Amino acid sequence: MSLEVTIEKQLSGFRLAVEFTADGMPLGLLGPSGSGKSMTLRAIAGLETPDRGRIVLHERVLFDSARRIDVPARARHIGLLFQHYALFPHLTVAGNIAFGLRRLPERERARRVQQQLAAAHLDGLASRYPRSLSGGEQQRVALARALAVEPAGLLLDEPFSALDTHLRNALERQLRETLGSYRGSTLFVSHNLEEAYRVCGEIVVLARGGVAARGPKEEIFRHPPTLEVARLTGCKNFSRARRATGGLVQAHDWGVTLRVTQALAAPPEHIAIRAHHIHVRAADGTAAEGRENVFPCWLAAMTETPFRVTLDLRIGGPPASPADFHVQAEIFKQEWEAFHTLPQPWQVEFAPDRLFLLPD
Amino acid sequence: MNWQAIALSLRLATCVAGILLIAGMPIAYWITFSRWRWKFLVEAIVALPIVLPPTVLGYYILVGLGPQNLPGKLWQSWFGHTLPFTFGGLLVASVLYSLPFAVQPFSAGFESVDRRLIEASWMLGTSRLGTFFRVILPLSAAGAITGTVLSFAHTIGEFGVVLMVGGNIPGVTRTVSIDIYDQVQAANYDVANRTALALLVFSFLVLSVIYGTNRTALSLWRRR
Repeated sequence: MSLEVTIEKQLSGFRLAVEFTADGMPLGLLGPSGSGKSMTLRAIAGLETPDRGRIVLHERVLFDSARRIDVPARARHIGLLFQHYALFPHLTVAGNIAFGLRRLPERERARRVQQQLAAAHLDGLASRYPRSLSGGEQQRVALARALAVEPAGLLLDEPFSALDTHLRNALERQLRETLGSYRGSTLFVSHNLEEAYRVCGEIVVLARGGVAARGPKEEIFRHPPTLEVARLTGCKNFSRARRATGGLVQAHDWGVTLRVTQALAAPPEHIAIRAHHIHVRAADGTAAEGRENVFPCWLAAMTETPFRVTLDLRIGGPPASPADFHVQAEIFKQEWEAFHTLPQPWQVEFAPDRLFLLPD
Repeated sequence: MNWQAIALSLRLATCVAGILLIAGMPIAYWITFSRWRWKFLVEAIVALPIVLPPTVLGYYILVGLGPQNLPGKLWQSWFGHTLPFTFGGLLVASVLYSLPFAVQPFSAGFESVDRRLIEASWMLGTSRLGTFFRVILPLSAAGAITGTVLSFAHTIGEFGVVLMVGGNIPGVTRTVSIDIYDQVQAANYDVANRTALALLVFSFLVLSVIYGTNRTALSLWRRR
């Protein structure tokens, strides 16, 4: 059960050159818009032809430019869930799900449709038309339609992007369940890193047409290999860095020297930390000076979401304007409420094992 | 009224609409989906009858179908008679003359089908032909109806090409529009008036049907 992909294609803005493999676990294809995710997906589906490359699904060669193999989309046995579902408006829900089952005998076809309707919790909607369905229902019909033909691989193109937030969670859980029992290879395209993290086991990060990182998701989020990948995986705090004496690292832009657990392989170019890994608290009476990785800080600006606040903090002295800050910290509201009335400076602490170093 | 001419016109228009429904579809499909860079040349050729004077088109068809030229020769060797001044000749000329009136609405209909639906059909293992009949055609039905009705109506109304290629043989090539011309020439204004009125009402009804169907077909999927 594996999918091997090597694709090269000249696009109008950039050159797409990606290479990765996926096995049992769903593989996330993460990247900003314009990074080549959709083109990669379409090439695997057979809807675009790469200039060069090789695509193998379960030992079946679907595309090989060297051997001039290019299996047409209809013969690839790949299910594709389109971003906007692409349900046939002139067919009912049952008609949509049965669309790819033409060659099956009537009874078997009906059985498969029933099975998919039940699995997708769509019973009762069989004779409805797509227009009358909610976005979430449409998405489930599209997934049921793709799975009904029992494809060898499943490609999901931003399946939640057209949905309201409150629908996403429920549908995402359902999708994870469905994927759990699906035995083919799954490729999940997303620009939402948290979504990709929840759904997938391994992640490939695409940027400007190339693979910027690939591997187990935990690894990529914990130690992004490059500045770009760190940014793409949601890291907000970066500083130029230089090796200092005593195994310490000097963070230029923040004006501080930090202890870091990560071993220094090459001279670091940048040091970074995720917003929710920064601790902020009121001064506890002991001076910040002299304690490792603890510094006095002032609040430049604050934004809140229902349960969390993001604090823009300046280290070492009061800010001149709301835009004058060094790091962004994200903390729970309860924590924030415990100290936000207390006098500044507060203290900011960078845990040594949460800081990570980035080469060039 | 000259019922013979009316019957002939209806027969001719039905044949033309039927032929174009079958022959126009592949042309329209090709024009819509081909990525050939010189495609516009074919589009221009298909659209020619819209701008050419019927006499020019009629002239070339007359000459082309004549026994001196290859198409005419082939026809003669297969069927034993020449095409000009026969119903068959009239049919060939009318099909060519009405081609854009069928192909362009068909093509516009195909164009209106969301590409992703076509791709979705392929991804479900459906062939191009299957996709055409199960997705493209049902979703562009309005274009198919419009093209067929337009080519039918346009054939009823043609004059110049018929006169050039078919001449004016009662029961064979004398269509309604030519009959009106004849009646006026013979100063039978009364008869000409009645036939002209009938043609006017007919044309109005046809166009109403087209605009009516287009509106219904467009809103059909939305309402469901």
